[in-house]
Amino acid sequence: MTETRYIGKRIRSKEGPRHVSGGGQFVDDVSLPGMLHAVVLRSSYAHARLGHIDTRAALEVPGVVAVLTSEEVKRRSRPFKPGRYSAGLRKPIPEYATAVDRVRYVGEPVAMVAARSRAVAEDALDLISVKYEPLPAVVDPWEAMEPAAPLLFDELDSNVAWKGAVSYGDVDEAFQSADQIVREKLKIHRYSSTPLESLACLASFDDASRKLTVWCNGQNPEVIYDALGEALDVQDVRVILPDIGGGFGQKIHLIRKYVVLTGLMSVKTGRPVKWIEDRTEHMMAAGQSCGMEFDIEAAVKKDGTVLGLKIQEVDDVGGAVSTLTIHFTNKLNNLFSTYKVKNLRLEGRSVVTNKCPVVPNRGIGKPSMCFIWERMMDRVAQELGMSPVEVRLQNLVPTREFPYTAPNGNLYDSGDYTRLLERAVEKLEYEKLRKELKQKREKGKCLGVGLVIGLEPGGRNAARDMAIFPNVKELPGAGGVEGATIKLERNGSVTVFLGAPSCGQFHETTTAQVVAENLGLSPDHISVAPRYDSEVSPWGVASSNTGNNFHLYDIGAVHGASLKLREKVLQLSAHLLESSPEKLTIEEGTVTIKGSSHKTLTFKELGKIAYGNQSLIPEGLEAGLQTTYYYKFPHAQPFMVPDEEGRVRAQFTFSAAAHGAVVEIDTETGRVKVVRYIIVSDNGTIINPDVVDGQIYGSVAHGISVALGEGFVYDSDGQLLTVTLTDYAKPTACETPRVEIEHIPVPSPFSVLGQKAAGEGAAIPSPAAIASAVEDALQPFGIKIRELPLSPEVVWGLIRQGER
Amino acid sequence: MRQLIQLRINGQAYEEEAEPRMLLAFFLRETIGLTGTHVGCVVGECGACSILLDGRVVKSCLLFAVQANGKEITTVEGLAQDGELSPIQEAFVKHYALQCGYCTSGMLLASHALLTRNPDSSEEEIRRGLAGNLCMCTGYTQIVDAVKAVAGEYKKG
Repeated sequence: MTETRYIGKRIRSKEGPRHVSGGGQFVDDVSLPGMLHAVVLRSSYAHARLGHIDTRAALEVPGVVAVLTSEEVKRRSRPFKPGRYSAGLRKPIPEYATAVDRVRYVGEPVAMVAARSRAVAEDALDLISVKYEPLPAVVDPWEAMEPAAPLLFDELDSNVAWKGAVSYGDVDEAFQSADQIVREKLKIHRYSSTPLESLACLASFDDASRKLTVWCNGQNPEVIYDALGEALDVQDVRVILPDIGGGFGQKIHLIRKYVVLTGLMSVKTGRPVKWIEDRTEHMMAAGQSCGMEFDIEAAVKKDGTVLGLKIQEVDDVGGAVSTLTIHFTNKLNNLFSTYKVKNLRLEGRSVVTNKCPVVPNRGIGKPSMCFIWERMMDRVAQELGMSPVEVRLQNLVPTREFPYTAPNGNLYDSGDYTRLLERAVEKLEYEKLRKELKQKREKGKCLGVGLVIGLEPGGRNAARDMAIFPNVKELPGAGGVEGATIKLERNGSVTVFLGAPSCGQFHETTTAQVVAENLGLSPDHISVAPRYDSEVSPWGVASSNTGNNFHLYDIGAVHGASLKLREKVLQLSAHLLESSPEKLTIEEGTVTIKGSSHKTLTFKELGKIAYGNQSLIPEGLEAGLQTTYYYKFPHAQPFMVPDEEGRVRAQFTFSAAAHGAVVEIDTETGRVKVVRYIIVSDNGTIINPDVVDGQIYGSVAHGISVALGEGFVYDSDGQLLTVTLTDYAKPTACETPRVEIEHIPVPSPFSVLGQKAAGEGAAIPSPAAIASAVEDALQPFGIKIRELPLSPEVVWGLIRQGER
Repeated sequence: MRQLIQLRINGQAYEEEAEPRMLLAFFLRETIGLTGTHVGCVVGECGACSILLDGRVVKSCLLFAVQANGKEITTVEGLAQDGELSPIQEAFVKHYALQCGYCTSGMLLASHALLTRNPDSSEEEIRRGLAGNLCMCTGYTQIVDAVKAVAGEYKKG
């Protein structure tokens, strides 16, 4: 970009003042007259047949208004339509808002109580008696695959609910021409970003008009909107998404069950119903990331060139099928990561177990794909006796090859991976550091360094998943469409409506900066609606706080809408000033004829005329000063829809970053301390540096914590042992290291401002960086890191194992 | 069953009834209508519901409303004076020390209490002082920076 006034600048945020004053509006802050409070009865069994639910005693409690049971849910609602993540099922498996006939995980909803207060509803919950017939639970995916394992779904003949593969290039040829095959097995556990605001919904059904209005904190309005249409016989639906207390992927999929349940309760009682999930419910049933295991082979040349990878993946998807392949297909987004490797085969199995269903989590699938690549690069370096940096440099996509089309169809818009890695080497003084650490290890200290690189794709393509379901009849949407509406008000201020909700990524501020730049008006006079409302938000398939969408689609739409409005302002002004649009300039909300200061028009004057004085509006110009623009990514083709070889543009922009971690391990306790952590990042054109840094700080903190111990633990009966944030080991400010960030932006040639993603970002390479550093530190013990998490308990065990 | 509670919240006197089992967090949110106090776990782990009770930072989900009888409470809504954000609020805005805003109220009150107690807090002391408040979005960096930056204002008193 040329010189900018607001883009790339530090400005006062729009969201900050309301949040520091307690003025945010979250779902639980909304109350309606006559509102009931609902609570959910959940299964205490991991696996059981669900018999009759006796609600008589509960209904006797004063203040209780209604109970909805699983039986009634089945009778009064329809199952959700199988989405793009369950398109691979051999037979359809109906999924309702509650369990029906059988429960398959602890915490699965079976009934809902609505009462005048939450306390009363909770009292009544204890009085509901459910007839369960316990079944043996299976929690380990390998046990679940055994022929004799208890079967979760009668519709399936095995707990392997899906099996499939993607293959690009000539993998067999690559392995035949290899000098060496490097093998490894890797494993990643279940975790979550645990948004501080749990799931929430307020539903209000107006019987007279048969209109259902729903406030909830779903990240993707489409999921909520479609779910209500599919499950309930209500066509007039309004979805409002106010301030959302963190999303990270947790609030995309399973929330629809509770929105439908709360909606049905409102239909049943004819009153507004509020349901707020508590923390334990969230941990048990709001979704977890996928437990994944990989069996990997790399074909390599003696000089360190990687010719290809073969990967066999097993996904532990838990006790539902609606997100069956979600962690598999998301690997298409960074399947080849930053490497020029041409051949890769990924075979997957999704195994159902008696655990919580899986949902996305900050980068879904991508952290593990990066983990595979980076662990393998380290392994190749070890086996060939090369430096880990050397091996990576040998395989990176060369800078001159951008825009680069990866073998699976992804178009890498821009990047300079070599520079990112080399700058990280420089910052760490890598070679010197390695020597120093080695000396320290010889003296008994346990220190290590890891240096990795990863990709952060942005902008979702809804057709991606079809790469593994070529025979699907109905395409679930493709590419990305997103709108923005901008209005110059009567008083000269500007209001913007986005198509998508925000979960705390400062969308209002960033939007205001782009609009300010294009319109020539200070961001102080621009207000961006802080909530999504399906009745006014111009939304499309990309209107979702997911998939790193905002930077591409929302900014694209905001940019387009503000340029359109600028054009309109200039046309109206040209008529009024008896000039022509090219001769006009806008500054600080005032239109002036270039080179002349006395003929001006303020936005306030224009606003008054555009809405109030038809006699001054030229013939042929639409009255009012409002524009809506729907953005489509212009470089989505080819491969917007998968071709016969499964090539698809899974995402559309490609940020990248090198991560360097230095760790010290206390060998007595197994505790890993991050001594230094650096990130050299390319996020394209940065619109707001504080926002981008904030996204990086937040995502790296989570990635590090995932690597170092937070996570879900089940016992062998399928009981979740980590039902609180403490059990789960969520880090505080004390455990979270300070991270150094350096930016080397390489703007995208394809997005409107050169911007690329910054959201999931640092959660993608960080688990790999930590694993690499811990392995380096544990060299004296001859330990290889193959699994996450590296909690003190695990590391302590590894050290003891190494000593033996 | 309901009990009468007399207390001062953000400088204003209130006389309200509450069931003995009602938690202070819900009393503030639902009975008084101060929804700036957020609830993230109801078991004292996350700190989103932190308030000041007689000047000390407490988690309002760990107290019953009746225990606040006769006390002086400050919630996030009471930090600003005469429509002006307080220095700690201003610092959080300036340093982008928040993202979704859900932990922010508790963070602000914990930070305010910490700096009132020890305006010379080092980074380590700040991190320890905020260890009772979880943030899932920021990785804490910009929060710690905001607290550090505003410490000088507290020294002035």
